[in-house]
Amino acid sequence: MRVCAIRRFHGSLLLAGLCILLQGCGLVYDAVELIHPLTRDELTTICTRGRVRVGISVEPFRPFVFPAVYTDEGIRVTGLDIELIREVADALTAHCGGPTPIVPTLHVTRFPDLFLKMAEGQLDLFVSSVSGTVPGARPAGLWFSPPYFHEDGVAAIIQKPEVAERVWQQFRKQNGKLDTLAAVQEGFAGLTIAVQKGRSSHLYAQANLKRIRMVMCDSLPASIETKDQNIDVILTNHSILEYVTKRVWQDWRLLTHIDGSPLILTHEDLSIVTSDGHKRLQWFLNNLLFRLEESGRLKHMRRRWVEAEYAPTRRATTEGLPLEVTQVPQHYDQGQCRPVGGQ
Amino acid sequence: MIKGNVVQWADNEKAEVLMIALSKAFLSLGLVFILTWPQNVFAQTSQQDSEQTAQLLTAFLNAGRVVIERNQSLINDPVKADKGFTPEVFERLVLDEFFQQTHIDLNHPPSSLPSLTIDLVRMLLLASKEVVADAQLVINQRGIGYKNFIPATFGSQAARKFSKRSKVTMKQTTLDPRNLKNAPDAYEETVLKRLAKEPAPSRPIVKWIDGGRLLRAVMPLYYSEDCLTCHGNPKGILDISGYPREGAQVGELAGAISIQIPSDHR
Repeated sequence: MRVCAIRRFHGSLLLAGLCILLQGCGLVYDAVELIHPLTRDELTTICTRGRVRVGISVEPFRPFVFPAVYTDEGIRVTGLDIELIREVADALTAHCGGPTPIVPTLHVTRFPDLFLKMAEGQLDLFVSSVSGTVPGARPAGLWFSPPYFHEDGVAAIIQKPEVAERVWQQFRKQNGKLDTLAAVQEGFAGLTIAVQKGRSSHLYAQANLKRIRMVMCDSLPASIETKDQNIDVILTNHSILEYVTKRVWQDWRLLTHIDGSPLILTHEDLSIVTSDGHKRLQWFLNNLLFRLEESGRLKHMRRRWVEAEYAPTRRATTEGLPLEVTQVPQHYDQGQCRPVGGQ
Repeated sequence: MIKGNVVQWADNEKAEVLMIALSKAFLSLGLVFILTWPQNVFAQTSQQDSEQTAQLLTAFLNAGRVVIERNQSLINDPVKADKGFTPEVFERLVLDEFFQQTHIDLNHPPSSLPSLTIDLVRMLLLASKEVVADAQLVINQRGIGYKNFIPATFGSQAARKFSKRSKVTMKQTTLDPRNLKNAPDAYEETVLKRLAKEPAPSRPIVKWIDGGRLLRAVMPLYYSEDCLTCHGNPKGILDISGYPREGAQVGELAGAISIQIPSDHR
C-alpha cells in the first residue's frame, strides 16, 4: 500500500514537472518571438531578404517618376526618384556585402496609401517627391530624411492671362515691399484652385487660401484633364510644373513674378520616408544622402532630370526599374476632381 | 578413285567458301543499304521540317508585330482606360493574320504539318499572349499617350520568352540597332548586308551550318509607311521614344527575324 502511494506520488511529481516544463517551453518560445525582431534590425532583414521594398506613387510626378512604359526588357519606370532608389539599392548591396545585389522591389501605390503601407510595415521606405518641410506633412510614426532635392516649392500654373494680372496687380500695390502670401491671397480670391489630395499644395491651400473655391484632385493629370470644374489655377511642386508646362501640357504656363522670375508660394525640400522605428535604416539613409550631396551626385541628378533635354522612354529602356506587378493597382486611373465643401 | 573423290571434295569446299564469302558480302551491302538509305531520307525529311518550322515561326512573330502595329492608335489612346486589347483579343487577331500570311489555321492545322512544328508555333503564341498580358498595366493607363508598346518591343520580349522555353533561339536584329542587345552576330550581319542590296526574297534565307547540326534562318523585315513616323526623316532628329530617326524610306531593309534551330531540337 505504501509502495503504491509512493509510486503515485512520483508519477504526479513527474506529470507536474512535465507540465511546468512544457509551459516553460511556451514562455521561452514567446519570449524569443518577442525579442527576435529586436535582435534582427531592419537593415539585417533587408540583407537577408535580398530585396528592399520601396513604395512609389502610381500617379506620375514627372520628372521624379514618369509613367511606366514598355521596353525591350518589359515594363520599366524611370525618373529622378528611380535613380535615387538605384543609389539606395547599390549602397545597400555594398553594406550587406553578399554575393548577390540587393534588388529594389517597387510597390506602386496611390499616393495617400504610401503612408498607410509604410505604417503597416509593407514597405521599407518610400520615395515619391514627398516634402517633410511643409507644416502638417509629417504623419506620426514616420521619419523624413534630410532632403535629396533642395529648394523646391509650391508653385502655380494657369491658362488665362487675367489670373496672372490679378496677382501682379497685388504685387504692384505693395510698392516694392514684397509679400507673396498677401498678393496670392488677394489675387486668388474667388478663383477655382486645384490641389492634389494629401500633397503639400493641398496643405498650403488649406492653411492659407481661405477665399478660394478649392477642388481636390486625385492626381495632377486629373487636374489638367478635368473640364467640368472650370479650374483657374493648379498648385503643386515647382519642379514638376516647370517640367510639364515645357514638355507635356504646353497650353498651361507657370505663374511668375512680374519680371518673369519663378513665383514660389512656399519652399519645400523633398525627402525619403521610412518608419520612425527604423533607426539603423535612418542612419544609413542619412549618411548616404550626405555622401551623395558632398560628392555632387545629387546636383548631377537634378541637372540630368530637371534641366537637361532627354527622352524618358529611352532612359526607361537603359536605366529604368521593373515594377513588382503584383503590387500595382489593377487599372491605373488618374482619378477625378471634386469641390471641397465649405471653401 | 579415292584421289578423285578427294579432289571433288576439295572443289566443293572451295565453292562453298566462295558462296559463303559472296553471301556475306551481299548481306553486308544489304545491311549497309538498309541502314543508310532510310537515314538519308529521314535526315532530309527532318531538315525540311526544320526549315518549314523556321519559316512558320518567323511568319508567326511577324503576324504578332503586324497586329501590334495595327492597334497602335488604340494602345496609345490617352482618353480610354481599359482598351480591351486583352491576350484573348490578341490571340484571335494574330491567328487571323497568321492565316492570311500562311493559309494555316492553327486551331485546325493540316495533317501534313509535323506535330513538332505545330507545338513550337503554339509555344510562340503562348509567349506572345504572355507579353500582351504583362503589358496590360501599361496599355490600360489613362492619360498617357505613347507607351512604347510597339512591334519592336513586343517582338523582342515574345522572342526572348519563347527562346527560354525551347531549344530554338529567336531574336530580332538589324545592322544599326537602337538596343545593343539586338546587334547582329557575324552570320546575321553578312546576311543583312546582302539583303540590303537585293530585292526582297519570298521566303526566309536558310542555311545549315556546323556540318548540318544547326539551321540558321533569317527573315527580312522592310519599312512600311507606319514605321517611318519613328524611323523616317528628318534623319537624326529624335523620335517620340528619344532615338534619332534613321532617315529610312518605304521598302528599305529594316532588320530581320533571326532563328537558330539545332538538328536535335526535338
